[in-house]
Amino acid sequence: MEQSVQDASLRVIASLHRDGIGLELKPVDLCFLVALQTRASQSSLTCFEEELLLDVFEQVCDAVDPDGENLRKRATNAIRRLRAQRLLSRVDGAGIIRAGDYSMTRLASGIVEFFMADQVLTCESLSLLTKALLASLFQIRTEAKKAQTPDEWRQHVVGPLRVTVGDLVAGIERRQRGLDAQQEQVRKQIGELLEADWFAAVDQCQQLLDDTTTTLSELNSVLLHDTHQILTVLSDIEQVAAQAGMSDAEEATQRVSEQVDRVTAWGHTRQLAWSSYYQYVHRFLRDVVRLDPSRALSERLRNQLADWTRQPFFWVVAQASRIRVLRENAVREQRPPVIRPPQDREVPLEYVPSDREATVLEDLVRAVLADGKATLSEVLDVVLPEVESAKRFAVVGRIAAQIVAEGAPHSARERPWVQVPGEIEVEEWVLAGGQMHA
Amino acid sequence: MHESAFHQLEEVIQDSLFPVIDLALRAGRHVDRDDGERYAFVLDAQSLLESFYRRYGCELIHASDGFFYLLPVGDQMGRRHLTAGEMLVGQTLALLYLEPTTVQAGGVTQQSVVVARLASLVGERELIKALNPRRRRYDERVAQETVRTEIAKALRGLESLGFVDLEEGEQLRLRLGLLRFAEAVRGLNEPADALSGLIAEGKAVAQTPGDEDEEPEEAGI
Repeated sequence: MEQSVQDASLRVIASLHRDGIGLELKPVDLCFLVALQTRASQSSLTCFEEELLLDVFEQVCDAVDPDGENLRKRATNAIRRLRAQRLLSRVDGAGIIRAGDYSMTRLASGIVEFFMADQVLTCESLSLLTKALLASLFQIRTEAKKAQTPDEWRQHVVGPLRVTVGDLVAGIERRQRGLDAQQEQVRKQIGELLEADWFAAVDQCQQLLDDTTTTLSELNSVLLHDTHQILTVLSDIEQVAAQAGMSDAEEATQRVSEQVDRVTAWGHTRQLAWSSYYQYVHRFLRDVVRLDPSRALSERLRNQLADWTRQPFFWVVAQASRIRVLRENAVREQRPPVIRPPQDREVPLEYVPSDREATVLEDLVRAVLADGKATLSEVLDVVLPEVESAKRFAVVGRIAAQIVAEGAPHSARERPWVQVPGEIEVEEWVLAGGQMHA
Repeated sequence: MHESAFHQLEEVIQDSLFPVIDLALRAGRHVDRDDGERYAFVLDAQSLLESFYRRYGCELIHASDGFFYLLPVGDQMGRRHLTAGEMLVGQTLALLYLEPTTVQAGGVTQQSVVVARLASLVGERELIKALNPRRRRYDERVAQETVRTEIAKALRGLESLGFVDLEEGEQLRLRLGLLRFAEAVRGLNEPADALSGLIAEGKAVAQTPGDEDEEPEEAGI
C-alpha cells in the first residue's frame, strides 16, 4: 500500500518535472481569483462569461491600482496567464463561434480558500462547532441504541462518526492552527511596534496582549465545558458499540475521542505558553521600555561593549569553596597477581620414519655395478625401472654422481647419447667393470 | 508594604527551600523573578538573610530589576570575577535582552546570533585577541574555533550564575539578571565614574586583559 502511494507520488513528481509545470502568480492575479470566487458565491454562479471576467478584473484594478492603464489588455494577459497555469478553464466548448464561459479550477479554488478562509478560532466559531458536534453525537447515540444490524451500525453510527463528527473536530483543529498563526502574528506585531515606536508603542502592545489573552481564556473555558460533555457522549456510544460487538464503531469512537483530547490539550498548552509570554512582555514593557523611554540604555550598553576590550572590567560574584568530603576509609583489597593455569609447554616427540629412498637407491646402484655392468646406460636400464617416472630425471643425476664417486668412469672424445628408460637420453660413460667397485 | 512571612532567622533556615537557595547564592547564582518560589522566598526573608550573610562578610544585593545575588565584601566568603569571555558574552546578551526582536521571541535567542552580534560590535580581531590573550600569532581558522569554544564555555558559566538558560539546540533563554551587565551605564553619570563607584563598592574589578589568565582569586570561608 505504502509502496503504491510512493510510486504514485514519484510518477506525479516525474510528470511535473517533465512538463515543466510551475506557478507564478502576481498579486493582481491572486486578487482577481479572490474577486471571482466572491462573485461566484454571491451570485451563485457556476461559470463566468468572458465579459464578466473582464468586468471583475477591472474592478480589481480599480481597487488595487487605480492609476493603471490598458485595463482590457491587462485583463487579457491575466486571463491568459491563469489559463496557462490551469487556474481558469474554458468550459463552453464553443471555440471560435462565440465568447467563452470560464470556471475556476480546483487548484484556483484551493488557493483562494487558503487566503480567504477565516481559519482563526474565535469564541463564537468554537461554540458553534462544539454545539454542532454535540448535536451530531446525541443523534448518533440514539441511532446506536436503536441499531440492530451491521448495516444499520455502518450507516447510522460509523459513517457519521467518521465523516460528520470527524470533519467537525478537524474543523476545530484547523481553526486552532489558524489561531496559532494569529498569535505568531501578534508577537511579530509587538516586536515591530517596539522597533518602530518603542515608548509610544507600549499601550498598543498592551492592548494586543490583552486581546489575545482574553480570546484564549474564553476559548479555554468553552473547551473545558464542552469537551467534557462531548467525551461523555462518546463514551456512551463506545459502551453501546462494545455491548453490540461492533468493533468498527468502537474504533471510530476512540478515534474521535483522541481528536477531542488533542483539542483540549491544545487549549491548555496554548494558554500556558501565552501566559508566560504575556508575563515576559508585560514585565519588559514595565521594567525596560517605561524606564528607558529613549532607548538610551541600549545605546550606552552598546558603547560599553564596544570599548570593553580597551577598558576591561569584571563583575565579582560569590564562589564559596565546596565542602571537601573525605573519601570513606575502605580497606583496599590485595589484588591477586594475574596468573594462568600451569601447562606443559614441552611438545611430545613424534615418530617420523626417515626417508630411506636414497639409501635404497644407492644400494641398488652399488649392486648393479657389482654385477659388472660396463656402461652408464646399462646401469640406468636396470635401476630406472625401479624408480617412479616423475623422479627419474633427478635420480639419473644422483646415480651419475654416485658412479663418479665410487668408480672411475671414462668417456670417448665423442660421447654418444644413449636412450635410457623414462624418455631420457644420457651421455654414455664406460665403466671400469667390477674393478671400480671395490 | 510587603509583610514578611518570616519573623526569625530560625524559620528561614528551617524552610525546605533554604539549603538550595543558600547554596545557589553562595555559588554566585542570581535569583530572579523567573525562579518563582525561590525568588519569593528570598524576597520574604530578605531582611533576615541580609543580616545573616553580613556575618559572612557578604551583602545580599537586591537589584531594582528584580533579582538577588550575593556580593562578598569581606574575606570570609570565596569570590571570583567573571572571565573575559563571560563579560563579553554577558554584555551582548544584555543588549539582546533589550531588543524588540528578542521580545518577539519571548526572550529567546540563538547562540549564533550572540556570536554574530559580539563580532560585529567588538570586531573580529579584537574578539580573537580578547579570547586568545596568550597567543600573539594565530591561525585564523584555529582562532575562530577557539573563540566559538570560549563563547560556549562562557555561556555555560553564565548559565551556572543564573544569567541565561541553555535550551534545546542552540537556543538561549535570557534572564533578568543580565541587566547587571548594564549597571555601569544605568544612571545619568558618566559610565567611567559609575564604574569607578562600582569598583569601590566591590561589585567589579578593573584589570588589564593580561591578568585575565590568572586563576580567579578565592578566599577561604
